Amino acid sequence: MDILITGIMMGTFYALLALGLSLIFGILKVVNFAHGEFFMIGAYAYALIALKLGISPFLVLFPVIVIGMIVGVAVERVLMRPLYEKYTEWGAMRDEYAIIVTFGLSLFLMNLANQIFGPYPISGPGLVPLRERVTLGHMVMMSAHRIIAFGIGAGVLIAAYLFLRFAPSGKVIQAVSQNRFGASIAGINSSRVSMIVFGISGTLAGLSGALLCPIFSAEPFVGALPAIKSFVIVVLGGMGSVPGSILGAYLLGVLEQFGAVYISYSYRDTFGFVILILVLLLRPQGIFGEKAREV
Amino acid sequence: MNIGTQLKPYWEKGRRFVEEKRALDLILSSTILLIVAVFPIFVVSAYWRGVLVVALYYALAAIGWNLLGGYTGQFSIAPAAFCLIGMYTSALLGHYWNWPPYLGILMSVVSTGIIGLLLGRICLRLRGPYLALTTLAFAEIVRSIIRFSYDITRGDLGLSVPRLYGGERSHLYYYYTFLLVIVLVQLLVYLLIKSRVGLYLQSIRDDEVAASGRGVNVVWWKTFGFALSSVICGLAGGLFVHFIGLASPEMGLVMQSGLIIGMAVIGGMGTLAGPLVGGLILEPLSEYVREFGVQHMVIFAFLIIIVIRFWRAGLYGSFKNILERRIYNG
Repeated sequence: MDILITGIMMGTFYALLALGLSLIFGILKVVNFAHGEFFMIGAYAYALIALKLGISPFLVLFPVIVIGMIVGVAVERVLMRPLYEKYTEWGAMRDEYAIIVTFGLSLFLMNLANQIFGPYPISGPGLVPLRERVTLGHMVMMSAHRIIAFGIGAGVLIAAYLFLRFAPSGKVIQAVSQNRFGASIAGINSSRVSMIVFGISGTLAGLSGALLCPIFSAEPFVGALPAIKSFVIVVLGGMGSVPGSILGAYLLGVLEQFGAVYISYSYRDTFGFVILILVLLLRPQGIFGEKAREV
Repeated sequence: MNIGTQLKPYWEKGRRFVEEKRALDLILSSTILLIVAVFPIFVVSAYWRGVLVVALYYALAAIGWNLLGGYTGQFSIAPAAFCLIGMYTSALLGHYWNWPPYLGILMSVVSTGIIGLLLGRICLRLRGPYLALTTLAFAEIVRSIIRFSYDITRGDLGLSVPRLYGGERSHLYYYYTFLLVIVLVQLLVYLLIKSRVGLYLQSIRDDEVAASGRGVNVVWWKTFGFALSSVICGLAGGLFVHFIGLASPEMGLVMQSGLIIGMAVIGGMGTLAGPLVGGLILEPLSEYVREFGVQHMVIFAFLIIIVIRFWRAGLYGSFKNILERRIYNG
């Protein structure tokens, strides 16, 4: 029971991360390898603002959201533009450009953080003091911070889902991800949509970094593992599918916890990779994804 | 008169043009190799000679990656993982059965060849981001297995291995061994790219569907490219482990793959001497900036972004392009 609840909680944070990645894949058909660094920036922003300014951790979440959005938009404006300016000319080279540029960005941000803040982890304060614990029923006990962070994460996740599903601008995003050219013909500015999606993606990743900061601590390489996990989730749920990535996140969160307890703790992070390779081999389109077709 | 005969002069002209460009590439690359061969004589300090050997290791691995990433367009993030497999093959054989380094290196080539063939076979249906993700996962699995098999590999402690030339031989021995291997590998790559197979590989990069439509056995040539590239990386790893005398899972970090890919990209993707130029300029540069307390990866990753965003041809590639323009335009 304990394991299941921890798994579901981790699943929520994974879902926040993976949703942004999945949206970017849906819009641009590229994988953002620097996604983990958005997470890292969120964690650093949260820890530093909360420690330096000493304001209530709940208020710190707002600047974190703004910073995440700015980072996402900046990355899109500076690095992703050639992708759709040369959408048709490049053909196969598009993929390569996107992978190299985001991979380079990931290395850059990681090492920049290492250069500026040093390799030592900075631990942020919890939303409520970390010692307070909550007992659910009679067997599960966990820190109150986790519960509140879980609540916020789940709220944001539901809001993001509803936004994409029902809001007019969410429908525009869906339209572009279904057919970029068709959407452009219908008068949608797909370049601006990409910018918005990168903003949302940065926000979600930054927020999940901030919420997990008191648990994981902010350090330069903190984003690497969550990023790889969100790749696994996105592949598992079907690239570009929003419900797929949310379901995949919970699946991975729970599987990982059970694996850690019943198989081996030190190989915990390897389960994700094995799942990734298996899914790519057996069902590359994932649970909800559509089979990629080419003309 | 049929159309083929009418077009023949043009066809001949185009063919001559391509051959001239290839010859230019070969001349340029040979010149660079010659400079590389003479260069360490002017470097007196043993430390910097050691740095040059490390640079050649990265250059060799980058040549291996470039064969796959630059010419075939298959973007793998696992070059360092194959170097790691090569290192541990030779290191374990030497450690447990006292195999001499030469045989160990030979076995590194065999083992990375087999694993590359298998992984290539597995990955051949995937392309673009899917392939990158699979290779990333593969690299991390390899590293985890090596790290957590304490009783065999001693985990993070690393495995000490004998050096290739026993005793306290100068770094120059290693330098010229690496150089010899690089010359042979470059020759192989040049002959391969010039041949029909090279055209198959490049056609897969440019348009896989069209290539398969024209009768190229995409499945087989992709696997072949993958395996050959892994073998070159494994060879680099096998040689290198007998230079530093220590095998450690650190050498398989994704960061190391980033270094290798970065050297190929900055030097010039899809060119013959690009990876060599990249490796030889960037590794000493990174040692140099370390003295000022700057992390070399910051500058390095920044260069990758700048080159791929604004300057696709890279260092060697743009030099070659300028030279070509000079020759053909005036």
